[in-house]
Amino acid sequence: MAEESTRRRNVSSSSYGNSKKEEGFVYDDQSASQDDADGKGLSAKHAKFLPRGQQHVRPRRLPPPSTLTEFIQQNWEWIPPVIYTLLAAFTRYYQIGKSNVVVWDEAHFGKFGSHYLKRDFYFDVHPPLGKMLVGLAGLLSGYDGSFEFKSGEAYPSHVPYTAMRVILATFGVGMVPIGWFTAVELGFSQRACHLVTLMVLCDCAWATISRFILLDSMLLFFTFTTVFGLTKFHNQQWRSFSFEWWFWLAFTGVSIGCVDSVKWVGFFVTALVGLYTIEDLWEKFGDLQMPIRIYLRHWAARILCLIITPFMVYLASFKIHFLILNHSGPGDAQMSSLFQANLRGNDFSQNPLEVAYGSKITLKNMGWGGGLLHSHPHSYPTGSQQQQVTCYHYKDDNNHWLVMPRWDEKEYDPNGDLRFLQDGDTVRLIHASTGRNMHSHPLPAPITKLNNEVSCYGNATVGDHQDHWAVEVVDDLNMGSKDKVHRIHSLTTRLRLKHVAQGCYLRAANAILPQWGWKQVEVSCVKENNPRDAHTYWNVESHWNDRLPRGEVKLYRSPFFRDFWHLNVAMMTSNNALIPDPDKEDILASTPYQWPWLNVGLRMCGWGDQQIKYYLLGNPIVWWSGTASLLLSLVALGVYLLRMQRRYNDFEPGQWDHVLYVGKVALIGWFLHYFPFLAMGRVTYIHHYLPALWFSVLMTGHLLDHFIFKSKRLSERTKWTVFIFCALAVIETFLWFRGIVFGIEGPIQDYKGLLWRKSWNIY
Amino acid sequence: MASLHGPSQFRPRQAYTDPLLSPPPPPPPPGPAPSSPFPATPSYKARPVGPRYSQSRGKPHPPGGIKLHKGEWKLLLLVCAVAVVVRFWRLGWPDSVIFDEVHFGKFASKYVKSQYYVDVHPPLAKLLITFAAFVSGYDGNFDSKISESALYEHVPYVAMRSLPATLGVLLVPITYLTLRALDCRADTALLGSLFITFENGLLTQSRLILLDSPLLFFTALTIFFWVGFANENRAAPFTHSWWVWLTCVGLSLGAVVSCKWVGLFTIATIGLCTIRQLWVLLGDTRVSIALWIRHFLARALCLIAVPATFYMAMFELHFLILSNSGDGDGFMSAEFQHTLNGKKMADTYADVGVGSKIVMRHWNTNGGFLHSHDHSYPGGSKRASLPFSSPHANRTRRTTNHPYPHLDVNNGWRILNATWDNHSPGYDWETEPFRALADGDMIKLQHIAISKMLHSHDIRPPVSEVDFQNEVSGYGFTGFSGDANDYWVVEIAEGDRRDRASSKRVRTLRTLFKLKHALTGCYLFSHKVKLPDWGYEQQEVTCNKNAVRANSLWFIELSEHNKLPATSPKVNYRKPGFLSKFLELQQVMWTTNAGFTERHAFDCRPNTWPILRRGINFWVKDHRQIYLLGNPVVWYLSTLAVALYFFARGMLILRAKRGYKDFNNSGLVFYDNLCSFLVLGWALHYAPFFLMARQLFLHHYFPALWFAVLLSAAVYDMATSKLKPRYRVQVALVLVGLAVWTYSHFNPLVYGSVWTRGKCESSKWLKTLDFACGDFYPNVSLCQPSARRLS
Repeated sequence: MAEESTRRRNVSSSSYGNSKKEEGFVYDDQSASQDDADGKGLSAKHAKFLPRGQQHVRPRRLPPPSTLTEFIQQNWEWIPPVIYTLLAAFTRYYQIGKSNVVVWDEAHFGKFGSHYLKRDFYFDVHPPLGKMLVGLAGLLSGYDGSFEFKSGEAYPSHVPYTAMRVILATFGVGMVPIGWFTAVELGFSQRACHLVTLMVLCDCAWATISRFILLDSMLLFFTFTTVFGLTKFHNQQWRSFSFEWWFWLAFTGVSIGCVDSVKWVGFFVTALVGLYTIEDLWEKFGDLQMPIRIYLRHWAARILCLIITPFMVYLASFKIHFLILNHSGPGDAQMSSLFQANLRGNDFSQNPLEVAYGSKITLKNMGWGGGLLHSHPHSYPTGSQQQQVTCYHYKDDNNHWLVMPRWDEKEYDPNGDLRFLQDGDTVRLIHASTGRNMHSHPLPAPITKLNNEVSCYGNATVGDHQDHWAVEVVDDLNMGSKDKVHRIHSLTTRLRLKHVAQGCYLRAANAILPQWGWKQVEVSCVKENNPRDAHTYWNVESHWNDRLPRGEVKLYRSPFFRDFWHLNVAMMTSNNALIPDPDKEDILASTPYQWPWLNVGLRMCGWGDQQIKYYLLGNPIVWWSGTASLLLSLVALGVYLLRMQRRYNDFEPGQWDHVLYVGKVALIGWFLHYFPFLAMGRVTYIHHYLPALWFSVLMTGHLLDHFIFKSKRLSERTKWTVFIFCALAVIETFLWFRGIVFGIEGPIQDYKGLLWRKSWNIY
Repeated sequence: MASLHGPSQFRPRQAYTDPLLSPPPPPPPPGPAPSSPFPATPSYKARPVGPRYSQSRGKPHPPGGIKLHKGEWKLLLLVCAVAVVVRFWRLGWPDSVIFDEVHFGKFASKYVKSQYYVDVHPPLAKLLITFAAFVSGYDGNFDSKISESALYEHVPYVAMRSLPATLGVLLVPITYLTLRALDCRADTALLGSLFITFENGLLTQSRLILLDSPLLFFTALTIFFWVGFANENRAAPFTHSWWVWLTCVGLSLGAVVSCKWVGLFTIATIGLCTIRQLWVLLGDTRVSIALWIRHFLARALCLIAVPATFYMAMFELHFLILSNSGDGDGFMSAEFQHTLNGKKMADTYADVGVGSKIVMRHWNTNGGFLHSHDHSYPGGSKRASLPFSSPHANRTRRTTNHPYPHLDVNNGWRILNATWDNHSPGYDWETEPFRALADGDMIKLQHIAISKMLHSHDIRPPVSEVDFQNEVSGYGFTGFSGDANDYWVVEIAEGDRRDRASSKRVRTLRTLFKLKHALTGCYLFSHKVKLPDWGYEQQEVTCNKNAVRANSLWFIELSEHNKLPATSPKVNYRKPGFLSKFLELQQVMWTTNAGFTERHAFDCRPNTWPILRRGINFWVKDHRQIYLLGNPVVWYLSTLAVALYFFARGMLILRAKRGYKDFNNSGLVFYDNLCSFLVLGWALHYAPFFLMARQLFLHHYFPALWFAVLLSAAVYDMATSKLKPRYRVQVALVLVGLAVWTYSHFNPLVYGSVWTRGKCESSKWLKTLDFACGDFYPNVSLCQPSARRLS
């Protein structure tokens, strides 16, 4: 580093980095201290574009404060965040236990928390970190996991719901100081910092959602910390590879890991950091003075901190999830058979190892989200009108199949010699409860019309060669490749079933049958032979045969990465399946178009006169000003670009870069958190907008700063007027709507003046 | 061949044709035009470095547009003659309906007979085909039940096919002229146009009665006009010819989008180019804002207003021709249907009261009628101890061949008073005076033909078996007046603004209302879900507890009441104007188009198109086949050109970032602009397909392919720019020779002529290509007997 420390570089142009405005620039802070003149030049010339924290060039060593006044003076910049934190504690904790019933989605997340305490395996569409924290909150407050969390039910005395809510609301409190520091790091003026923090403090939706046993307060908190880490890191860019630089890069990475492990919505803020990093590296690529070695170090640092670190956090949360949940529970069926065998309370490990003729088995599809091969005494309304064959996710006697020899072979003799099932054998599969044979024929399947229909047909004596299925082994998870597999093992052997007469393969993909098929997964026979299609892979899950010895759990090991991947794909599949019914008016759901205008609120609980009522609704001033400033920012961007094209010079050197940087964080951040919901098919709710709201608030602060608080034309008096007006508007609106945050007692009609828009269903 | 490449190898370019942008108009020279400091530059390298759009090169500006050498016209004529031979060769074979010809033949006969139909494509191309058929005496008797591969009888199908074929031929000279207007050399233009001539896919598509050939023709025409306009704009804006070129772009844009909505991608291409042109113009501070606004308005007029007017005019023509009712009625709203001959309704009484005989229609799903007939539900209510045949209420589906509603007694209902116990005293409509139906009234609906009441109960409906839906049936028998489950509350949802009374009481055709089931609080509901065979595939009617608003709205179409005097006010449908008819049809087309999601045996996703993974089997008969397949040489060269562009452009961007001054080379700038323009067209005609969920076919790639073929010609131009003319021509000849050879190798699949199994098998260079080799005879001699149909 010694050689490089003396090197300088000229920064010709860059869109990021107030720190790059200076003419000379050093690579590490070691030389920054050596080169005093440079440092001074920096702070003197460009102080106004620097974040507030760096504007204060504080003396290195202050004498320890001897009086309180001195203490306050020395720590003046810490006073506002501390006060705001105390206020936030009030808005988040005040009367938090007032409603003693299960409010809204507490029914879900409280229950998931209970599963951690009971250690039952469950399945949910969200990653585990947030729910583990709910479980932790329960553990810390002494909850034993025995409550069902039925929606709207009153909490019994042994459930410390208040303590749990308080612990989770702490994340909501944390949003406020982080909001303050982010504004500071973005270089906002004092007034803008105060306004932004007030908006975070006084937004009703953010306050309300933080007060219950939900994941949103954690999601928001980690979204805030990620943005904070990004802005903090940005301000360290001028001293690359210093300790602070590394610290904030790593901080951002850990924060990304956390936000992704709470809800997948976190990927949007991850994308924001990703875009920032790409642009940053692109600008560095254009820096001809930078040696390649340093450039590669920049790459390596980001790969380490922004890709590997978050991934490790994400992995770790799943590892802990699997370690805690080691008992069989309601989510078993979503996982592979092998995983289930390792859960306590599951009998798969008792399965006889090798499948023989006459065994009763269940067959599990190995495609992502695959279920168990199933049939029931209902027939297809189309095609052959024979008995349906489907894939079903729950355990049921209708999943049981008997392995029987072909029609042209000797009938199975229960007392004869044991005959094990082998690769290449052709068998009949008899549905145990109806006695029909699994059958296929060249008729189109009901949904996937290019495939053949699979049905159940005939009985123990009636049948034909269309009932014959050849067993083709793919491989075995324990024994390895196909050549080493001689007999079919339960759980571990992956096999395909080929229909002998038609040459097609039994397949269950994610096509859902209509109501006549009970919305189960369609099973069909695919004509195209794709040996790598996991949807045609099956394994024997349960296996019963009295004539064979029982198995042991050590025969069935399940590798972590396979389980991790499997669970993630299952989550993805279930998430995509949350599609609204087009015929049903869901009063809780809302479309993304309604959010920025605050067209909708959400009743979080029953609306009876005796109930304590919470209504999820934003602070209209905050939401509307946010939306307005987003639109205004686009207009302003357009006007500035047009003026630039006409060669007008509106900005001082460096100013444009900084304005653009903050604007990009806010606008792109908002867009990334909003637009995907428009493209998603799934059902959406108003709380999906809450992370995006943060970026619209930042934009409000940025524009107020740009047009008013940092304006040179306006007088101090005007600036104060605007500031006080805005602050009062935000605070007053919050106070006006405080009822819906802290809980409304008594008839709602007693609270007048809340219906600012007709579309809110408050009354 | 010397005339191919101009007077000399180093033919100086007059100005760099940049179709994306035009340089600012030159400032009026303050005297004699300054002669360039670099006169008659011999090669690109020596070109002036610096300003990207130098105004003068020592010669006066060309007048814009295109300039061809004298000899080139003959050459162009020769190429056209080749194209005519290739396109028209045995156009009459096969004499049967091929692939989608079945649709377009039917649409043509609909036009001839003026029967209303609905299709997902705008009308222009179909009108052109109809025109070709009509002038050759087509009487429209193409049987609507005719299927693919049936023989044509009494249909001038050759005349109809010759329209796409003619447009396919015209594509060739347009390609030539476009390349020349883009300032490519004559040999490049020749190469490009011959590639288009011998592209088997374009060829196959243009020989059949399909829309792609008109679409492609207009796409190419638009691009040609645009390039001409850009040249003109560079020479001198606001001249007479400038306006002509610009208007031509607008008209052609209107035509392309009136063929297929894929034309929107062409609009996007031209739009982006225009925006860039204006942006660059804005950056030129010598252009005053007023002048810039003139530029802007001229483009807005010609590129927005003109195409929009053209597009709407096509629909106006469409509506004018299709004045009679036909099988497309069911897609349209009741008001729309009312405008068609044969669906007009007589005026009906405006007032509805207790005792009125009514016909009720559902609002959202194109006004199906509330209908019931004497057949019972097989499941559901039968199990619910309704011991006798209970008619079920369901709606007529559009294809059910119903006479007009008031003739079908099964659509008739009578409104009865439903008051019980503590409510208002019973009201007898037969004796007491007329009482209008108002908001909140509780009624029963009695089916007139079977005299059962509209009934709902807590049983899941037959198809939508979900917990928030209840079954709706007809219930009751003589001597039993029914129970409280027959009671429905009228909730007026929306009245007509021009009829004040309609929001207070129910008025025929003017009031939209909901019917709420009094006991369970669910709403009478219908949606586009069909009942199975036993319900005659009619639409399901249910009672929905969380009903979406649009699907629970009903209105009354006909009403009669004994007490109403003949003089009482009558109403009828309001006649929708052109604009509302036009917008409604656009919406129907959009939803129908988006609904084509089912798999087709020959569909394929966009990612497989550039590698030509598989084609479409159009027709197989008598051991012959027509299979849509590109010419592999042309196709892969075009894909290669696109890949090369992205690679080269990527490298250039990286180099530029590292400070290399590649873009100071004006030759490079020329080719960069040329290729970027073509790639932009390619990308905008290709990438949007990735977002579409509907079924897609290989022929959707054709507009993008045209751009890619032009790009491959441009790449040839660049690669050979430093070669001597002789070698250049040799390279071109080799490429054309290869294309012609593959064309002739695969031509049996184009013309449906004799091929052998062996040749077919050996031609499958990818195993995913699924032309049916098994259908061909092993050797040619066997084919002779069946060749008798060839004429």
